[in-house]
Amino acid sequence: MDRREFLKTMCSGGIATFGFPVVSFAQVRQSGRLVFVLLRGGFDGLAAVVPYGDPAYEGLRGPLAFQDGDLVPLTPIFGLAPGLAPLREFWDRGEMVALHAIAIPYRTRSHFDGQAILETGLDRPVGSSDGWLNRLLQIMPGERSGIAIASGMPRSMAGAHEVQTWSPTQLGAVTDEYLDRLAVLYRADGTLHNRFEAALQQQDLVGEEEMAGAGARRGGVTPLLKSAARILRQSTGPNVAAVEFSGWDTHANQGLGGGALDRLLGQLAEGLVAFRAEMQDAWADTTVVVMTEFGRTARPNGSRGTDHGTAGAGFLIGPKVARSAVLADWPGLGDSALYEGRDLRPTLDTRAVLKAAVAGTFDLTGAQADRIFPGSSGVRGRYELMR
Amino acid sequence: MASDAALRALNRFGLGARVGERARIGDARGWLRAQLQGAPPELAAPASAVPANIAAALRTLGMRAAYGEEERQQARRRLIGIADDESRAALTQRVASERPFVERLVAFWSNHLCVSAGAKRVVAPLAGGYERQVVRPHVLGRFEDMVLASARHPAMLFYLDNHQSIGPSSPAGTRTGRGVQRGLNENYARELLELHTLGVDGGYVQADVVELARILTGWTVAGLYGAGTRRPGRDDDAPGPLRFAFRPAQHEPGPKTLLGRRYPEAGVDEGEQAIRALCRHPSTATFVATKLVTHFVADQPPPAAVERVARVFRDSEGDLRAVSTALVELPEAWSEGARKFRTPQDWLVAALRALGVPGAGDNLARALRQLRHPLWSPAAPKGFGDTMQDWADPDALLNRAELARTLGRRIGGGGPDPRTLLDVVEAPAADAMRAMLADSTIAPAERIALAIAAPAFQWR
Repeated sequence: MDRREFLKTMCSGGIATFGFPVVSFAQVRQSGRLVFVLLRGGFDGLAAVVPYGDPAYEGLRGPLAFQDGDLVPLTPIFGLAPGLAPLREFWDRGEMVALHAIAIPYRTRSHFDGQAILETGLDRPVGSSDGWLNRLLQIMPGERSGIAIASGMPRSMAGAHEVQTWSPTQLGAVTDEYLDRLAVLYRADGTLHNRFEAALQQQDLVGEEEMAGAGARRGGVTPLLKSAARILRQSTGPNVAAVEFSGWDTHANQGLGGGALDRLLGQLAEGLVAFRAEMQDAWADTTVVVMTEFGRTARPNGSRGTDHGTAGAGFLIGPKVARSAVLADWPGLGDSALYEGRDLRPTLDTRAVLKAAVAGTFDLTGAQADRIFPGSSGVRGRYELMR
Repeated sequence: MASDAALRALNRFGLGARVGERARIGDARGWLRAQLQGAPPELAAPASAVPANIAAALRTLGMRAAYGEEERQQARRRLIGIADDESRAALTQRVASERPFVERLVAFWSNHLCVSAGAKRVVAPLAGGYERQVVRPHVLGRFEDMVLASARHPAMLFYLDNHQSIGPSSPAGTRTGRGVQRGLNENYARELLELHTLGVDGGYVQADVVELARILTGWTVAGLYGAGTRRPGRDDDAPGPLRFAFRPAQHEPGPKTLLGRRYPEAGVDEGEQAIRALCRHPSTATFVATKLVTHFVADQPPPAAVERVARVFRDSEGDLRAVSTALVELPEAWSEGARKFRTPQDWLVAALRALGVPGAGDNLARALRQLRHPLWSPAAPKGFGDTMQDWADPDALLNRAELARTLGRRIGGGGPDPRTLLDVVEAPAADAMRAMLADSTIAPAERIALAIAAPAFQWR
């Protein structure tokens, strides 16, 4: 019996006797795809969506201030950093909202608490351990599934609803026979059994050829996002995906156009453009959300970098976006406008955008969106951002 | 029952049982306590890791104008070679150690006060030395001595940027002239509070971060820039091994107030006093105890166990020998239901110990990268995660299955009788394995792989 056969047998009844639900990508899936791209490390929003039209900008940013001519202008106030120039493609198609002065409800500037809040969707770093993407899967009706395309299971995806994980590896050494034997051993382990089954099914879904191909191109943002697209675009593919990239914590020598941060932004933008192309027709019902845990200090620190700050920037991208725009209730960069005299002041709650993203992508009601973000009923969803 | 306790000691507190080892351990707790006696196990520096050579190679890379591409390429290769040698030496020690409990503690503290070789080029060749010089000497000593050693080590000073944090009112900070005003960098101060001592809820605020950063200005690295380099050397900065230096000219003058305590101007002593005070803070005892109990007992650490360890930490002023002994005495660590999912490093080291492989070969580092757990390379200063949630995703299990198969092939017929591997896992979990490991229709190399990839082998 080959492994596909074997899995079919297990799924059609054998498994039930063990009492563990087996995840599989549904034959009839809900429409809509949401991709959550988490940039770990807290990227400098003022160096990405640049408020060059703010009168205090140049003086405040000093050596980190871009010159107008280097930027890709979006509005009279805001322009994209040079590295983000490829995103212009989304902007011109009416598929991109740049978000600014955005923040989660957390002000203490710890990466780890910040990420916990962004990923659990709560208003404090402790509480439920379910990620908001997992809560979305729990609440969504119909056949739906999620995947983490990441090193390990990100908090945003973890929770009661079983999800798959995938990252590029080079599985060439194993035979179906070996994995089948191992699957038998795993059946005796109540905790791990289900995860191993999910792994085998995931491998079948992506296909051996894809695994080998992705493995050869391991490492880059663009290859990873293209692999993600090939998984997502399948007719039975997952509805919800989490992707993450780290390295955004720029305490020193952050640079300007062509500098360290701008190179990272360039990789991200190129990757997103490649993702859209690779999605083919499936792009039509896909929404991409790009977020980070916090922004950084408005002024450069003593090492031409920036320290942990508060409000930052993000992006909402996809054909279900109502129109291209910069969404910012701009607090300004004057000394008295800064939060605690040092950070960009938050004026937009991240959850207001995330609610709109889930509701607009999956036709959920506002009440359902509220349940995905417990404690957020006082935060008005910005539903007008989506079609 | 006695042998189950021995297995628990070998797997939970140690680095994985070897075949036949459980039968030789009569008193499991006594075996662990004995390992805590005497000086901590040393580790010789690899022959390539000569401090002056590391500094020289880093200087070559930093001086684009003075060296040709060929020389720079050589320097790059030398640094990579040193990092590889360091990691092979440390892993070999873990695989071969006769004091595996102490080696586990070394790995724990190295992760608690981590530097990341992946984060900065300059950290990679220093990370091995950091563990040897900062963690090993103090692993059975005092917590505050370990934290102070870490604060002064070039690897940490570079990793969290304190080497370039300058007091805004210091002579260096107020110097006008070419270039940009230089000033504070909060990075190390924040992580020292949040990750190394008090914990994020330990009772500090943003103003404390800034004050601690001010206290620690002037704590930097000498030896990287010598005469003729891009940044002219100072009197104390002759080329040579990288070393801690306190530069009064970069130190923020005046009194500072950290956590309500006033520190009058005292140069380098301010930092030493502040770090010792942070290490003795009650929040630190609770934070460190929580991490230790999470590591040795359960992902959800039982509060009573945390409190017992925290009390020993407080009462002994951070005596890590006493604290480690307290861990052995925790009934929760020995209870039937408690178990920990092995991290990738734990799993691979346990596999090599079970299979009787003497040390770490060149492939081990590559395998650890594939498992997303390379030595000294966490993605963030928080270090690698320590719970099942961090490591037991489906993709990771498949990765382990594949690596086990590779390992089985490499060992081939030269390995142990696969049936003997039942000796290193807990009996109830091994029931499903028994028949398979005895099935002679399966090649021995594959049966070895099955034993290592089996769910029973994923737990400690």
